[in-house]
Amino acid sequence: MTFGYLLRRLAAVLLVLFIVTFAVFAITMILPGNAAIMILGEYGTPESVAALERQLGLDRPWYVQYADWVGGVLRGDLGQSLRLSLPVSEVVGQAFWNSAVLAVTALVAVTVIAIPLGVVAAIRRGTAADLVIGLFAYIGASMPEFVTATLLLVFLAGPATGLLPAGGFVAPGESFAGFVSHVLLPAGTLGLILTAHISRQVRSEMSDVLASDYIRAARLKGLRERRVIRRHALPNSLAPAVAVISLDIGYLLGGIIVVEEIFAWPGLGRLLIYALENRDLPVIQAVTLLLATVYALSNLIADIVIALLDPRVRYA
Amino acid sequence: MPEILRSPTGIAGAVLLSLVAVAVLAGSFVAPYDPQAFHPATRLTGPSAAHWLGTDQFGRDLLSRLLNGAPSTIGFGLGATLLGVGAGTVIGVIAGTAGGWVDSVIMRVLDGLLAVPELLFTLLIVTILGGGMGQAMLAVALAFTPGMARIARSSVLSIRTREYVLAAVARGEPGCYIVLREVLPNALGPIIVEATIRVSFAIMIGATLGFLGLGAQPPSTEWGLMVAEGRQFMFRNPWVVAVPGVAIALAALGFNLFGDALRDSLDPRRSVRG
Amino acid sequence: MTNFMVTRRGVMIGMAAASTLPGLGWAQGTPKTGGTLKISHSTRIATLNVLTNSGPAEYPVMDMVYSGLTRIGPDNQPMADLAESWEGNADATEFTFKLRSGLTFHDGTPCTADDVVATYEAILNPDIPASALSVLNMVDTVEAVDDTTVRFTLKTPYADLPTSTAHTNARILSRAALSGDLAALDTQVNGTGPFRLESYDSARITRLVRNENYYMEGRPYLDAVEMHLFPDLAAETTNFLSGDVDAMLTVQQADYERISSSPGIAAKRVPSGRYVNVVMRQDQPPFDDLRVRKALALAVDRQLLVDIVLEGLGRPAYDNILSPEFKYRIDTPEIPYDPEQAKALLAEAGHPDGIKLTLVASNRPAIRAQVAIAIKQMALPAGFDIEVETMPHDTYLANVWRKGNFYMAYWGMQPTEDATFNLLLTSNASYEDSAWMNTEFDALVEKGRSTTDEAERAAAYAAAQELILRDTPYIIPFFEDVVTASRDDVADWTVHPISRYFYMENAWLDRA
Repeated sequence: MTFGYLLRRLAAVLLVLFIVTFAVFAITMILPGNAAIMILGEYGTPESVAALERQLGLDRPWYVQYADWVGGVLRGDLGQSLRLSLPVSEVVGQAFWNSAVLAVTALVAVTVIAIPLGVVAAIRRGTAADLVIGLFAYIGASMPEFVTATLLLVFLAGPATGLLPAGGFVAPGESFAGFVSHVLLPAGTLGLILTAHISRQVRSEMSDVLASDYIRAARLKGLRERRVIRRHALPNSLAPAVAVISLDIGYLLGGIIVVEEIFAWPGLGRLLIYALENRDLPVIQAVTLLLATVYALSNLIADIVIALLDPRVRYA
Repeated sequence: MPEILRSPTGIAGAVLLSLVAVAVLAGSFVAPYDPQAFHPATRLTGPSAAHWLGTDQFGRDLLSRLLNGAPSTIGFGLGATLLGVGAGTVIGVIAGTAGGWVDSVIMRVLDGLLAVPELLFTLLIVTILGGGMGQAMLAVALAFTPGMARIARSSVLSIRTREYVLAAVARGEPGCYIVLREVLPNALGPIIVEATIRVSFAIMIGATLGFLGLGAQPPSTEWGLMVAEGRQFMFRNPWVVAVPGVAIALAALGFNLFGDALRDSLDPRRSVRG
Repeated sequence: MTNFMVTRRGVMIGMAAASTLPGLGWAQGTPKTGGTLKISHSTRIATLNVLTNSGPAEYPVMDMVYSGLTRIGPDNQPMADLAESWEGNADATEFTFKLRSGLTFHDGTPCTADDVVATYEAILNPDIPASALSVLNMVDTVEAVDDTTVRFTLKTPYADLPTSTAHTNARILSRAALSGDLAALDTQVNGTGPFRLESYDSARITRLVRNENYYMEGRPYLDAVEMHLFPDLAAETTNFLSGDVDAMLTVQQADYERISSSPGIAAKRVPSGRYVNVVMRQDQPPFDDLRVRKALALAVDRQLLVDIVLEGLGRPAYDNILSPEFKYRIDTPEIPYDPEQAKALLAEAGHPDGIKLTLVASNRPAIRAQVAIAIKQMALPAGFDIEVETMPHDTYLANVWRKGNFYMAYWGMQPTEDATFNLLLTSNASYEDSAWMNTEFDALVEKGRSTTDEAERAAAYAAAQELILRDTPYIIPFFEDVVTASRDDVADWTVHPISRYFYMENAWLDRA
């Protein structure tokens, strides 16, 4: 793990981000309709649409618009939302925090639950416990988020039970109890599927490790099982667990889109869908940039952590 | 192959897949009603003698719609995966066999594409192409290609140094022959396993796109779209969302279980441990 | 709907309103002052610019913070707002509005005739996007006669000018705001409405507080109004039922039953002239043949659509674009659902084996696709083989709207017959898309707008409607009710069927 390697990885990330934003830009240029048409809708006459386009700067050639945007980003200015008349950084910033709160809640809960589940399943491999956990994991991994979310809504938030609110957001600062009740279902939806993935991976890795030679050696040495697991098996399984968690960040970034939409959680996912529908180019660009950056950086960090945890891994 | 059917996951997977296959192949013939026909007098009712799974907001029979939607939902999954696997395998094999700068360039590009989270990538492509099943399938295939290429490549790389390949090279066999007769058949294993599991993802993503209104369009009976359209009625008749939702889960589950069993049976370490 | 007898003078002269609105009969006791009313809505309040806003949730906010010269009352007639009275000349080419004295904007600066002139000049300015232009394009000049008097001079006679000045996008802004950066209007408000803007977060909550200097003494009763955004309809409904908000701006038809039977809730349905119309372009086959249009009209079961798409919350319509609320509407004969006759008509028109068509429906709002799917099924036995093509709304706006030959459109109710006809059906209508281009109809509409004689207007509009019923330029299967809901301790809150006027200064909370 050299400094040179890190630099090269970072440069690659930057290149990718540049390509992604250019691609997004090109995409929205090709699309029929633009923000001005969407804003005025069926009450737009050709004159008022043209006037609004001028006002929003949509009548400039595409390369001017793109260069303008890139210049802005390098200065730290993400532009103005075409639909919402607010600075993009404000709109995206707030949404980012809301999404982060949801994602972190889901991840923390999942890590606390999924890793122990995987460990238990590996230790008690072949028993009823393993089967149950395995079944749960399989089912969890086969349900798309919108199915899980909808079923949870029907059972837990329906008029019959009314245990939890069916959506909405309360900031932890405003009311912690309110926050908890509103975050349970969306985080739970994300968490169920994440738990399924992670616990399966942990189980699989743990099983491999438990069958490996040095564990056999430790057992032969007469060490107690608990110690074997804690001092020898667990640390070696952690590296792949981190790898899986980082892979799941990718899933999380996608799952969040659907979950936020269903539960009316004002985060990046919902913002993206709204921006795509309304052709709000600066917001689409900013959200894509942000999501791609988070993903790329988390992969990079995961790679570093794995290398640190597992000295057998070598990087050119 | 038969070993798969000895493990519980294999059996469960095979059972589910058989059910799915029946629905896809024979569904339209077995369906009791025209999936689009309205029965307004009995709208939004649960299971009954006349409608085994209930009816939706227009009074359309849910069982018939489910069977009718099987080909499009599953077909989407299979089609997108086949396309993605096909394209990805070709690219990965090229990278793996060619080596050198060709390999490097392809890897860089793949890394770049893999930097974008899958659903986001799919969403962006689908938005360009406009909604619709064909476009969504293309988008998902494109999103799968880099991942599949990577797997194909690493599979090829590990085969390249096997004795039988080296022997073929020593014999002076032409490149194409080596690739087609020695490398590919042995590299296919991991690719097929990955592909089977990917079908379940493709089904889920396809349903999600249908749900978001970016995939199948009304009045299609694609299962994700059925859930989306049924949501506003879900408290009046939960069957409207439960039926397609559970069907999606079962189909994805079937492919998942079968793919895992396949992987276990192909992996020599695991079959030794049993 | 109450039908006021309007005399000739009444059309031209508007009198100062009494402190209560006509038509509001159900006052629930003595109004109490205080409290915050929380309203939930499902589409974003994307802008606060009153010149261009068009979102369903933007209308109530604009209605609360801005006022115009006039407003539309619940009886569908213009009533006084900032103007306490108005008068037109005999041939409806000149109108003079008298403003109330002592009007101030939220920031304390006076609101005078000069601000009115500045506002209308901005609306009429082709370089400034303004949605009200389409109902004000007959205005030639606007001038301030003195601080409280404004005179409009028109290019052509137009009896309904006081209705045009009530347009939701013709609210009065200050000259100062209009001379500055117009982009500021998107996020800042300095109006004369009963409430002023306290905070605006388009992703969550917009909060408005009482304007202490509102021109109506003692109003508004409420301390504040909050608009809460819930883009997911299911989430919105559930939150309303659990008591987190006090009112829902729009209720989905699918939820009405459940909501209205919940304890402590008052659900309201107001008959409205809102309609879905099937556009059949007449300058190309097959719809250039009247028989094909008539055949399709016979192949639509209107009552069934009301039952399953609107859940009964509407009224069947028989292709007359005017709903029963309009004063000059004529009796419209029912069109039965008769696929046999439709089939025969099709054969007569040269399609003995039926006809294949593609019906386009955008995905916003969902009702377009729902009606399209239902029509597809209903018209099948008549020989219509219709394929429904749905598409994203922006693709529809860019590629199909006003260009395609067979698609679903969706329009809200307009305040007058003239506005309704000029929206779509006259040859130079703003959003003309049927290619009907009927000069006889144009002449009748012109006659109706330029005379103030009751009998003449009634005759002209009646003849115009006869033409519509004869030629079926659109299929209009139903009129959709406006449906809202609130907790039953929210008193005196009325929503006009046009859904742009909310009279929030009268609402109060009956809470201890």
